[in-house]
This record gives sequence, C-alpha cells and structure tokens, in this order.
Amino acid sequence: MKYNLQLIKNKRQIISFSTFLILLSLIGILYSTFNTSYKKPINLGMDFVGGNELRIERVCEEECSNLSPDSVLENLREISSNKNFINNIKLQFQNNNKLVSIRTPYLSIEESNNLITNLDNIIGPLNYESKDSRLIGPKLGKRLLTNCVTSLLVSLFAISLYLTIRFDKKYALFALLALFHDLLIVFGIFSWLGIILSVEVNSLFAVSLLTIAGYSVNDTVVIFDRIRENLKLNEEGYNETIQLSVNESFRRTTFTSITTLIPLLSIILFGSYSLFWFSLALSLGIIVGSYSSILLAPSLLLKD
Amino acid sequence: MKRRQGWLFFIIFLLTLSVYLLINYPLQLGLDLQGGSQLTLQIIKEEGNVTRDELEAVNSVIDKRVNNLGVSESNLQTLGGDQLILELPGEQNPLVASRVLGKTALLEFRTQIEGTSTDLKTLQLQRLGIKELIEQFSVAEKSKNDGNFLKVIQDDLKEIEQELNYSSTSNDLYGKLIEIKKYVDKEITNLFIKTDLSGKDLINAGRRQEQTNSNWEVLLTFSNSGGEKFAEITKSIAGTNQLLAIILDGESISEASVGNQFASTGITGGSATISGNFSAENARELEVQLKGGSLPLPIEIVETNTIGALLGSKNILKSLYAALSGLIFVGIFMIFNYRILGFVSVLSLVLYGFFNLALYSLIPVTLTLPGISGLILSIGMAVDANILIFERIREELYDGNTLTRSIDSGFQRANSSIVDGHITTLLSCFVLFLLGTNFVKGFAATLGIGVLISLFTSLNCSKTILRFFITYQSLREKNLYLPKNNFSN
Repeated sequence: MKYNLQLIKNKRQIISFSTFLILLSLIGILYSTFNTSYKKPINLGMDFVGGNELRIERVCEEECSNLSPDSVLENLREISSNKNFINNIKLQFQNNNKLVSIRTPYLSIEESNNLITNLDNIIGPLNYESKDSRLIGPKLGKRLLTNCVTSLLVSLFAISLYLTIRFDKKYALFALLALFHDLLIVFGIFSWLGIILSVEVNSLFAVSLLTIAGYSVNDTVVIFDRIRENLKLNEEGYNETIQLSVNESFRRTTFTSITTLIPLLSIILFGSYSLFWFSLALSLGIIVGSYSSILLAPSLLLKD
Repeated sequence: MKRRQGWLFFIIFLLTLSVYLLINYPLQLGLDLQGGSQLTLQIIKEEGNVTRDELEAVNSVIDKRVNNLGVSESNLQTLGGDQLILELPGEQNPLVASRVLGKTALLEFRTQIEGTSTDLKTLQLQRLGIKELIEQFSVAEKSKNDGNFLKVIQDDLKEIEQELNYSSTSNDLYGKLIEIKKYVDKEITNLFIKTDLSGKDLINAGRRQEQTNSNWEVLLTFSNSGGEKFAEITKSIAGTNQLLAIILDGESISEASVGNQFASTGITGGSATISGNFSAENARELEVQLKGGSLPLPIEIVETNTIGALLGSKNILKSLYAALSGLIFVGIFMIFNYRILGFVSVLSLVLYGFFNLALYSLIPVTLTLPGISGLILSIGMAVDANILIFERIREELYDGNTLTRSIDSGFQRANSSIVDGHITTLLSCFVLFLLGTNFVKGFAATLGIGVLISLFTSLNCSKTILRFFITYQSLREKNLYLPKNNFSN
C-alpha cells in the first residue's frame, strides 16, 4: 500500500490551517491573561501558587447520602475559627457522593488537621486510609514555577543546538518552527481548558511539554533524514523528492504515534486520576507533533 | 551465525539475572504507591546562599531528630542546595513530625536583670491570662454557640491589650490572641540577659513524670564545661530575687529562683530539670529537639504530601492495569501489522519490561506514579525503533530481496536514525532530571532508562530473536512477514 499525500498541491491549506490553530491558541492565551480571574496566560494550579488539596472518601453503608456542598460549607463556617478562609474554599463531591475533594489557600498541617476533624464531624465517618492531602507553601510554588520555566528554556536551547549541529540552518529552523508550533498549540488548548472548564496546570504539565518537545523533534528528524537521503539520490525534482520522502515515512510516523498513544490512552482510562491531565497533554502533543512532522515541516521546506 | 548464538545465550542470561534480581531485591515503592507522608523543608537564610556546610549541619540535626522520634522507617535527602526532603512511609499524620522538625530549638539560659521583679510579675500574670483565653477560645470554637462566649474573650483581650499598651494588628480573633502572646513572651525575655550557657552545652536530654501530679518534666544533662558554667550562673544569683530563665526559641519556658543554700558553690552535678506543665507529648517533643541540638538556621516546612495506604494500593493496581493493557494493545497492533516481525517485537518488549524493572531494583530507582507513567510511555517509544526497522525490511522485501538480506540491511539502515531520534528525548530527560523536583525526577529517570534500554532490546534483542526464528525453514515464508493484501503491490 503506497501513500500518496499531495503535499505540493496542498501547501497553502496546510500552512493556513496551522496559522489558524496558532491564532486560536494565541487568542486563548491573551483572553486568559486579561479576562479571567487569575490573569495568567494559563490557569496555574496548586503546584505553582501554593495551597491545600484534600481528597478523602466517606465510609458509607451502601450508598452515600446526597449532600450539597453549600450546606457543608455553611456548617464548616460555623465551627471554624478562621471565617476568612472558608470563603475561599472549593468543595466537591464525586463518585456518587463518596469522594470529597477540597481546595483551600495554604494551610499549616495543624490547620489542615482541624479542617479534616471538622469535616469528619459534619459528613463523617471518613476513611483516613484513602486520604490524599497536599500542602504547598506559596514560596515553594513560585520556586517550582521558575524551575519549570528554566527547564523548558534550557531543553529548548539544547534541542536547538543539537539541531543546528546535526542539520544545516534551513532544516534546523523549520524543525524548530514545527516544535514551537506544537508546544504553542498544546499550551493554547490548556489555556482554553482553563477558561472553559477551569482546568489547572501543575508541574506535570511542564513535564509533558518537555517530553512533547523531545518527541516532536524526534519525528521531524526522521522525516528530514529521509528527505536528505533521497535528495542525494537526486532522481526527481526537489519538491517531488520531499513529497515522496514524506509518503515513504508516513506509515512509520503514524504507527509510532499510534503505539505511543495506546499506552497513554490506557493511563487515561485505567490510571490514577493524578495522571489524567498529564496523559491528555502528552496525547495532544503527540497528535499535533505527528501532524506537524508529516505535513507542516516538510511543506515549509517546499519551494514555490 | 555463531556470534548470534552467543548473543542469544547472553540475552537468556540477562533475562535469568533480571528475574533473579526482581525476586531477591523487590522494587522500592514511592509514597504515592505505598502510603505515607513526605515533608519538604526549606532552609531560611536572610542574606546570601546556604553553604554546603550549613546544609550538612541542618541535615545532621534533622536526621538526629527523626531518629529520636522513633519512626520505623524514614528517608532524608537534600534537594537543590537549600531544601531537605523527608519521607515517612506509613505515616498518615505528619503533625508530630512537623512540630518536632520545624522548630529551631535554640535553648538559652538567661539571668534576670536586677530590679525587674514587679515588671516580671505583671507580665507573668498577663501571660497566664492570655493562655487561658486561648484555651477558652478553642473550647468556644467547638461548642458552636460562639456568639456570647467569643465576645467575652474579645473584651478580656482588650483589657490585656490596654494594660500592655499594645494593640494587635491581626484580622481574626485567634490571630490576635497568638500575636499578643508572642508580644508578652518577647517582653518577658527582654527582662533577662544572656549567659554563655546554651543548648550546645547539653550532652543528653530525657523526660519523666512528676511525682506529685500527672505533668511531665524534661531532664537536661550538661557536658563537663556546661556543668561548670551552670554552677557558676546559679551561684551568681543564688539567694537574690533574680530568676534563672530557660528560653526556647525566644519563649521563656521556665523561670525559677535559686535558693540561698547554693550561694557558695552554685548548683553542681551537671544536670537540671525543666518543669513547666508539660504534657507527655510536649515533653517528648522537647526531648527529641534537645537531643538533636538546635538548628544552625531556621527551617520552614513548605510542602507536605500525605497518601493513605489504601489509596496507595489502589494506585498500584491502577498502574498495573494501565501498563498491562498498554502492553497488550501495542502487542496486538504490532502483530496485526507486522506478523512474525510484530511477534518478535512483542518478545523484545517483554524482555524490555524485565530489564527495566531489574535495573530499577539494581540502581535503585524508587517507583512513583510519574515514574510508572514514564515507563508506560517508554513502551510506545521502545516499539518506535522496531517500527523504523520493520518498515525498512518491508521495503527491501518489496524490492525483491531475500529475507536474510532484507533483515540485515533493514537493521543496518535504520540504525542511525534510531539513535539520532532518541537523542532529543534523552536531552529532555536529562534536563528534567537536573532541574526537576523529586516528583518529576522519577518520570525523567524511568523514561531515560527506558529509552536507553530500548536501544538494546529493539536493535540487538529483536535482531537476535529474528535470526533465531529464520533458522527454521517453516518460518521463512515471505507472507509471514507481509500482510497478503499488500503483497501484490
């Protein structure tokens, strides 16, 4: 089965499509920066701003009774000393009212224990064996954010350096363009997710961006290698050779993406909830990455 | 062919070794998989960076305190030059640990400035008053009928504030109470002057229950020179109305007079007791802190993670499902598309899994949730190399080459792009490992190790297995390598 992607014919459409996606991402990022309550390009989660997150299960005989978060908060307010922080609390019931998840601003361990005791009084008994509690100080959050941004910049620099040594300038430039395209779109999607579904990003999101960077370049390198190899044989014209090379590597690139997506999909379906958004970000990155390696980067190489 | 057989035996040897390692050295599970608490301690220094020596000094004090706490297992490591990470497996409530570790525990012995007796008495009464208010407050808080009770507390607090000629700035009542208590503590401490005796002169600390009531007291044992200093200090104030204060982190925990009978020699024997209405728990915490010595720099607990044991075992199960289903579906995909070749890649994947896990137990790598996701993700990347090779082999077969030749040149020609392609992923892993937090390091480690091992399994192992397969005539049919409907092409 030979593939026959018409790269030369569709160059304009491919580039317009990518520009459209990039614009959409930029709009999301700008909207998120100026028009949301958090005023950041992306909804930064607890890892970066500090706070307290608690998930704990209730012990119920058969079915857990239905509770409204508002009434629980009202009760909490009555017995808590610090009325102020109760106003900033977010409380949710999941899993048929069995699982309680709570977000508050930063608390000390003592305060967090008090909160759990108070909660136990209101909706208890609680199963302490199922507790998942995280307390992150605001100072550490800032530091984590700087760390993540530096890691991202350092590895982008390292990848650019590698590409410039490995290829000539033109190839390196376009591979990098494709890479930034992928990262920007994944970032934009999460900006939108933050605006619409208030999805927050944590340090694992930064990890997924870094992994996407490594992966996306990997894909592009393989296709560019093929193009260079075929250009040396010099059997057809420049543009035709590029199109041929892309079609020759098409199976490989899609297959690799599929075999990487399958395990990620199983983490999304079966894995722990803490890995859900992480795996989703990676999956999106791999999809966008394969698109840009197969269609965008080679199209950029084409001559008019 | 002989050399390949050598490889086959080598691979079988490695597999046996891996299984042996995994049975005898079980994998280390992170806290998110077995339950427990993790505390991140940040060293606070106003100016300049924390030096290596200071980090070491803080580390050793914390280490001693953790050991004296009597927890069954713990793991303390430094992170990034000014942080420490303490893991307490199985600990579901890190409250006590956080109280014991977070304090500087700077112990001072001070003597009272002459002529401040009346001032001290007033302040001591105010301290008593504020302590009672704090207790009343916590009762009022739980009893729900806060209205009137809280108002009484508020009025009493105002009275004390007027006496002190100080007004608090906190927003809520509890904050005000704590603020005033701190202010009173500071005022009391200011009535005493420093001596050269401090927590450094201790060689041991202990605790016992007082005989007359249920309170506890803490016993201090001085070193030789410390004992001499103590005798000298007590001698200098014996029989006067100057008191000796024992001050912990700026708060006086005991003020006591020294009787006239010690005027000639001071209190000798090199020991002292602090009896300041300690509960059993408080006495133990102080004992642990004094035994470990004071921290050279203050620390702050900036992060606490607690995972219940049940949640941990659920996480293991979920990860296992995810890994196995990922492996199975990738296997089905490969066999469907590449037939025998796909089967070979499944065998190398299984080898890959064993080698990875064996290496984790050897290095050792502690498995965490992000670590497992790195491993699962690297399954996909491990087949990547196989796909590159198999695609080449297919092309060679289409071109009408013999099976043996196609396989040889397939492996040869794909080699360079495989190694190249993986370099960028390794670069990312390397940066993540250098700059990441503990959580992130787990992911970078497993993904990085995975990519390296996959180079061995997908290049060497699959080649060896394939070569072994084609020694059998029945496995050399071309249509076992290419799906039939594609063959006509």
